[in-house]
Amino acid sequence: MTAEAQRRRAFWQILLIAAGLLILAVISAGSVYLVNKAREDSKWVVHTIEVENQINSLLLEIRRAESSARGFLLTQAEGFKIDHEKAVEAIVPALDKLTRQSGDNPAQRENVEKLSAAIETRLGQFAQEMEFIRQGQPDKAAALIREVVSTDATAAITRIATGMIQEEERLFRLRSENADRSQTFAASMTGIGSGLVVLLALISTWLVRRSARARDEAEARLRDANVNLESVVDERTADLREANDEIQRFAYIVSHDLRSPLVNIMGFTSELEELGGDIFHRIGSLAHVSAEGAPLAPAGPGEIVLDGADKQLSEDFSEALGFIKTSIAKMDRLISAILNLTREGRREFQPVKIDTREMIEAVVSTLAHQAAEAQAEIRLEPLPDIVSDRLALEQIFSNLIDNAIKYLKSGVPGEIRIRGRTKLGYAIFEISDNGRGIDPKDHQRIFDLFRRAGTQDKPGQGIGLAHVRALVRRLGGTMSVSSELNAGSTFTITLPIAWNESNRNAER
Amino acid sequence: MTQPVTIIMIEDDEGHARLIERNIRRSGVNNEIVSFQNGTDAMQHLFGADGSGLVQKGNALLILLDLNLPDMTGIDILRQIKENKYLKASPVVVLTTTDDSQEIKRCYELGCNVYITKPVNYENFANAIRQLGLFFSVIQVPPAAP
Repeated sequence: MTAEAQRRRAFWQILLIAAGLLILAVISAGSVYLVNKAREDSKWVVHTIEVENQINSLLLEIRRAESSARGFLLTQAEGFKIDHEKAVEAIVPALDKLTRQSGDNPAQRENVEKLSAAIETRLGQFAQEMEFIRQGQPDKAAALIREVVSTDATAAITRIATGMIQEEERLFRLRSENADRSQTFAASMTGIGSGLVVLLALISTWLVRRSARARDEAEARLRDANVNLESVVDERTADLREANDEIQRFAYIVSHDLRSPLVNIMGFTSELEELGGDIFHRIGSLAHVSAEGAPLAPAGPGEIVLDGADKQLSEDFSEALGFIKTSIAKMDRLISAILNLTREGRREFQPVKIDTREMIEAVVSTLAHQAAEAQAEIRLEPLPDIVSDRLALEQIFSNLIDNAIKYLKSGVPGEIRIRGRTKLGYAIFEISDNGRGIDPKDHQRIFDLFRRAGTQDKPGQGIGLAHVRALVRRLGGTMSVSSELNAGSTFTITLPIAWNESNRNAER
Repeated sequence: MTQPVTIIMIEDDEGHARLIERNIRRSGVNNEIVSFQNGTDAMQHLFGADGSGLVQKGNALLILLDLNLPDMTGIDILRQIKENKYLKASPVVVLTTTDDSQEIKRCYELGCNVYITKPVNYENFANAIRQLGLFFSVIQVPPAAP
């Protein structure tokens, strides 16, 4: 999977979440709005019913007033009169209430005004009727009632009230429908929104699961790659180890087989030397015979004194043989050195806890004689203890301290310091001197086998530092030098504080 | 019954063999030297056709053995000599270019009497041979000069 695809998927997921949030917000706002609207609609529905109620109760009061007025006219009973007065008293507040309630509707307001006028007329007629009855003229009252019935006051009231009720019923239907619609709308909106949210959640879940699957696959691939890498590293390490062993074996066999002809060269050179001695002895004795004319009794070698050209020949012969023998001796030492190096390379290290100070003191004591001769003082500063191969460490320090003593400035009392510290699991040792120093251009060279630098006034094969560096590397460390000509040298060795098998496996 | 010691030299390098022989002679040891250039011939001579070593019964031998032979290792020859009842009493001088301490130790464990590293200090070498020979039997010295 590419980074581009990953970015795109992340973008889609964010977009989905944003869309979900937006839909939720819209649903919430819409719900609040619609619920409010539905409440409003319901209020209006209730209002309509109340108005209708009010009209009915007003009509009821008017009928009550009418029927009680008739009752009173017929019987003149005080009960009907009281009843009539109560009804008439109730009519005016009921009418007022209706006026207030229908204030919102202009059509109804007009109807209410008409109704009020009709009711007022009718109330006036009631008052007249009652007046006639009180004055004891029931006939007039009856006539008035007849007149009233024939006039349209009552009919107008009934008509207007019916109209109003019809209007209110129409409004009731309308408002009910409105309220229903609002509620249906709110419900469907909630439903659709919820559906959308669920859908988004499903898509989101699918995307998350897909990306989780992709991640699992990537992890598996990574794990495979790691395993592969490890096996590749193991393989390479094994190859390297094999190559190293091969080189070791090669060096061993080569140096071993080089020795064989060298033995012959050396042996027969010795033979030649002896032969040469015999030959010159004979030449000498023959020369003496010819000179003195008398044979000499065989005598021991050395008694014959050669002279002139013969002496020169003998000296040349000895000189040539001398060079050959020196070279052979040198070659033998070099071959021995290579053999020793390869042998060291094959030696198994044994990690042990080392009291570094005590170990270096022992090394120093074996070099005490050389140090005294060179007037060198060796100072040990506090040193960290480490776990490593004791013999290897002894060889490392012995070589470095020996070098420091060997290459001091003549005439200047030597001062050799050995310092130590630890850093991040490594012990760092510094061996510094105030000796003749090493030219920076030779810093690399001095670590090469059989290479030396500076004035060649001390015996040596050029093996020590190469050996030391090989040991340090095998111990999982590094070494370096900092030095200037005539300004002393400092060799720095960095070794793991705790060397173990795994270090070596990693190293070899 | 004193019997002169026969020196068996198993050495593949002619030069080495010649040098050894010369130095032995120079140091005044006059015994017969039988030399072999490879392990097979030497084994044939030492153990006979049947490989039992019976052929050498009663013979006084001193064996000079090079460890690096073209056809087998000297270590094998040494082991077989020291395991054979007729030969195991014969002193064996191991001569080799290796001064590997492991190998020296191994040779001594197998019963070699002297281990000498080449290039040889021939004086010490002749001395060792003479002493081994004396210890075992008679060393032939050259007849006094007339």
